[in-house]
Amino acid sequence: MATAHDIEDLIARVALGDRAAFSKLYDNTSAKLFGVVLRVLNDRASAEDAVQDAYMKIWRHAGRYSANGMSPMTWMITIARNTAIDRLRQTRATVDLDHVAEHLTAPGPNPEQSAVAAGEARRIAACLDELEQDRGAAVRGAYLEGQSYADLAARFNVPLNTMRTWLRRSLQSLQECMAR
Amino acid sequence: MSEVTPYTPREDDSLLAAEYVLRLLDPAEEARVAARLAREPALAAAVAAWTARLSGLDAEVIEATPRAAVKVDLERRLFGLPQRAPFWQRAGLWQAVSLASLAVAGFLAVQSLQLPEGPARAPLFVSEIAAEDQSLRLLAVYDSAAAELRVTRTAGDAAEGRVLQLWAIAGDAPPVSLGVLPSDATTAVILPDALRAGVADLVLAVSDEPPGGSPTGLPTGAVLAVGQVNAL
Repeated sequence: MATAHDIEDLIARVALGDRAAFSKLYDNTSAKLFGVVLRVLNDRASAEDAVQDAYMKIWRHAGRYSANGMSPMTWMITIARNTAIDRLRQTRATVDLDHVAEHLTAPGPNPEQSAVAAGEARRIAACLDELEQDRGAAVRGAYLEGQSYADLAARFNVPLNTMRTWLRRSLQSLQECMAR
Repeated sequence: MSEVTPYTPREDDSLLAAEYVLRLLDPAEEARVAARLAREPALAAAVAAWTARLSGLDAEVIEATPRAAVKVDLERRLFGLPQRAPFWQRAGLWQAVSLASLAVAGFLAVQSLQLPEGPARAPLFVSEIAAEDQSLRLLAVYDSAAAELRVTRTAGDAAEGRVLQLWAIAGDAPPVSLGVLPSDATTAVILPDALRAGVADLVLAVSDEPPGGSPTGLPTGAVLAVGQVNAL
């Protein structure tokens, strides 16, 4: 299993156009990224297209990833997740979200801030469990399945504005819990 | 939105960042946040922090290995057809160098060098480095006495914001850079020692590269033109 450092090293080589490194990066990370897009799209054929699109973005944007304390897997998963969600919402007006990947590393947090956030990440499951059951499930649905406010409102059978209020309160509780 | 509890701006931005990361915003709101990110480091930091926080849920994703064909397809989309041939054969260009063009090249070479007459002159070699469609064409003449390769561009130029880089390939060895071609039509380079003995079997190629040339030491852009070296 490749370490975060190995993955960072591979991304740095990919940024220089190293195809062998790209192949290795794919071999080491594609099961995770495919799992991410499959969870969102729930369809193998779409997920195969999406994971290819994601790796094409990774190839193109590798130069913009720099080691700033953000985990390289988080960077890649963010690209994969957003690519899958864009695909899921293809029928809507499309927004190019390539920049999401860029802004993770652009002015972003300093390494200490990132390390704090990464430490908090380990507590997220416990903190979600502190929320009312439906609310924790809504946050998971949004993150893991790419559900929008409208999807979640339909799923939990509440008006859209109520869902937004719910979710924002949940996120605030989550932030407080994770900072404890 | 009257149901939404009012937040202080700071809290509000942190929650907005969370909604942005979760992709809960509608496309117009999403675009507004994206535009602010470029000029508001605090908001960008909030987005990065939420990305890191929520990444804890990545552990709940069940890994799934994609079919092998997915990788093959991906590499084809990125790099073109996978083949075992050396890259200059892969480009399928050098076959375009016809005998006729070599004859012309030879003639031009003699003209351009203004050779001194006499039996004692050192062997000369020539290569026409040409794109299949002739959109880029260079003539290279190698004077073995001076180990100097003189390259004259007779057609085409680098793309806007790009440069042309000259490569020498000996057999199956990786390409050796002979440098970035200046914008001048004619330039001269000294052939590296290791390549001199085998000059008659060299292949010369020109690739499209970022300013300053390939950062990897190997061609990274398209191979635009290829030519075999021939004794004159």
